[in-house]
Amino acid sequence: MTSVSPLEAGTPGQTGAYAAQAYQWLKQNLNDRLRTDRCLDQPASLEEKIRFEAAQHRAGLAGITWPKEYGGHGLTLREHLEANREIGRAPMPNAINSIGKELAGPIIMAVGNERQKSTYLPAILSMENIWCQGFSEPGAGSDLAALRTKAERTADGWRINGQKIWTSGASKSSRCMLLARTGAREDRHKGLVLFAVPMSSPGITVREIQSIDGDRSFCEVFFNDVIVDEAEMLGAPDEGWAAASRVLSIERATNRMYRAWRFESELDHLIAACRSDNAAFAIMKGYRRELAQCRVEVELIKGHVETLVDDLLAGQQIGPRGSFPKLYWSESHQRFAQIAYEIVSRFPPGANQALKDLRARMEGIYLSSRAETIYAGTTEIQLDIIAKRILNLKKAA
Amino acid sequence: MFDDLDPQEFEDTARTVIESCAQAPSAAERGKLLAEAGLLGVIAPEDVGGLGLSTRFAAPILRAAGEGCLAYPLIETLLLSKALADTDAELAARICSGETVATIAWLGTDAGADLGGAPMGCQAEHVLIFSADGTAVLAPIANAVRAVETHSFDIDVPEAEIHVSGAFKGVELDLATVEKLRSDARMLRAAFIHGAAANCLKMASDYAQDREQFGKLLSANQALRHRLSRDALVLETMRNAIIRAQSVRDDDVEMARNAAWLCSAQSGPAIAESAIQVFGGMGFTWEVPLHRHLRQMRAQARYGGAALELDQLGDAIIAGTANPWYAEIADAA
Repeated sequence: MTSVSPLEAGTPGQTGAYAAQAYQWLKQNLNDRLRTDRCLDQPASLEEKIRFEAAQHRAGLAGITWPKEYGGHGLTLREHLEANREIGRAPMPNAINSIGKELAGPIIMAVGNERQKSTYLPAILSMENIWCQGFSEPGAGSDLAALRTKAERTADGWRINGQKIWTSGASKSSRCMLLARTGAREDRHKGLVLFAVPMSSPGITVREIQSIDGDRSFCEVFFNDVIVDEAEMLGAPDEGWAAASRVLSIERATNRMYRAWRFESELDHLIAACRSDNAAFAIMKGYRRELAQCRVEVELIKGHVETLVDDLLAGQQIGPRGSFPKLYWSESHQRFAQIAYEIVSRFPPGANQALKDLRARMEGIYLSSRAETIYAGTTEIQLDIIAKRILNLKKAA
Repeated sequence: MFDDLDPQEFEDTARTVIESCAQAPSAAERGKLLAEAGLLGVIAPEDVGGLGLSTRFAAPILRAAGEGCLAYPLIETLLLSKALADTDAELAARICSGETVATIAWLGTDAGADLGGAPMGCQAEHVLIFSADGTAVLAPIANAVRAVETHSFDIDVPEAEIHVSGAFKGVELDLATVEKLRSDARMLRAAFIHGAAANCLKMASDYAQDREQFGKLLSANQALRHRLSRDALVLETMRNAIIRAQSVRDDDVEMARNAAWLCSAQSGPAIAESAIQVFGGMGFTWEVPLHRHLRQMRAQARYGGAALELDQLGDAIIAGTANPWYAEIADAA
């Protein structure tokens, strides 16, 4: 990997300057093995991706809004958005440590104590600690308040028993942001506590689950009499739900802020590759209206993201409005993925390399997009949130 | 000097004026009321009696107009009072003050015999006629240029056909002015549709919380809750697209404006259709004003050529991409 010159952290330059530096860095460092628009026999290994992600941070492309004392760059959401536009445009792998950066980090900053902040936060950005999110359970997916994993106070610390599922990246994580219950199941939102659990603790078993796209990122995690030190508790025993739900609403609104630009870039890839072959171009031409619609929807996702950034910068609360962008990008990306799949499925055999690369990528996107209306709260949950908390629709007179 | 103005205040003023317009007997009367409140010249320069503000300030007025089913060619008036300011300041001032009603024939060009889609053409004294070469002429409606009331989908703002028989003269607008006018038209239409759609959703959600069936409120049914939530999502998407189109950086602005406009043209009518469904049999009657909103929004989509623009955008997109990451993929010969 080429050497990295960190971006200057401080007052932002003129508009676009940050983006320009981000692009330059990516152009130099995103090699073919790391690119997601290549269908190579030997793509980058996990180690290479981790090194690349650590370098991104040093180059000023991660931890942009985090305080400098915790390893961040101390800039605003504006620079974060600018860098994310370039990250989105580039065919680069999704972050290995997105849970650390987009969920654990903000929660630790919100409820963690000074020691936790100064130990955990820099290690997330440097990629020394990869995090997973222990929220969902077999009986508690979108209905998080139904979770059963139990935390009991003992003389040695907290004793954890239970099972988590859909825990992305658990098998490569060193820490788990665990949400567990101190009280009875009937308490629902009350008595939930958050822990930063070391994944090396005795009593933790991780089993990978193969997902629809062939990936093995999902995991089941079993906690059998796992003892967690009191010092690993984040916030107070009853603050778990408040912290989790606050961060989830921001997560829905702002995580992977690059989505609109990534989606646009996928569309660009589709167009460029189809243009490399006359037969493929003729097929694409039949979809010009659908593709125009996709392009419009890309702009509309940008509208959701950018107005939310403006609101956040103006100090407004996002609350239930985080459901709007989540719903919109997930369904709109699925529509794109279906059209893209349909187009590549019609390619004649013996296509050129650009079309082969495209087909492999679009098939993967089609499959993985099925999860997008499920994770971070299903479509149905988002619709319930809007009905109840935005439209204030009554259920009884 | 207008730095401290708040677009929201314009919306509040506009809403009050537009409510009184509903009681006014003629287009001329409504024009007077709108002009008195300073709403007709919002984007026109100050020297023709306007306020010289950006479309950002016109948007809330159009939103109120859409909400209130305003029966006046407001979009056309705003656009013409601005576009004419350089070439015929006097006429621009008369349009600004509501003295003269002017409209635009949105469909067709002077290359064809007849032009259509002129809102309130029969009440107007002047009509803007687009030329095939992209310029336009604002012609007086007289002699060679006649306005004929035609079948109109929008019952609040009746549409006229413009019949041209022989040569006509008028104020000429150059290519750049016409392009700007069309681009601004997209923003104003989007805002108008946003207002109309917001009112449809409000009516539907109020009705759902009022009406009981099978012993419970309509709004207790998940199928209806989710329908209304989806409409709220679309409305929010429209709102954010309009905000973004007014603040985005120069090189992205036309795409952002197109997206805001196309989103409104497609989704606004869909929200009205959905509201009609929520109202059940009542929604299908003339008494519930949802059909008026639906008609107005559909008419705007037609005048703005939304369907055609989507096709054109499709052609532009498949013609290639400027994304540097895919520059190395060579085009087939």
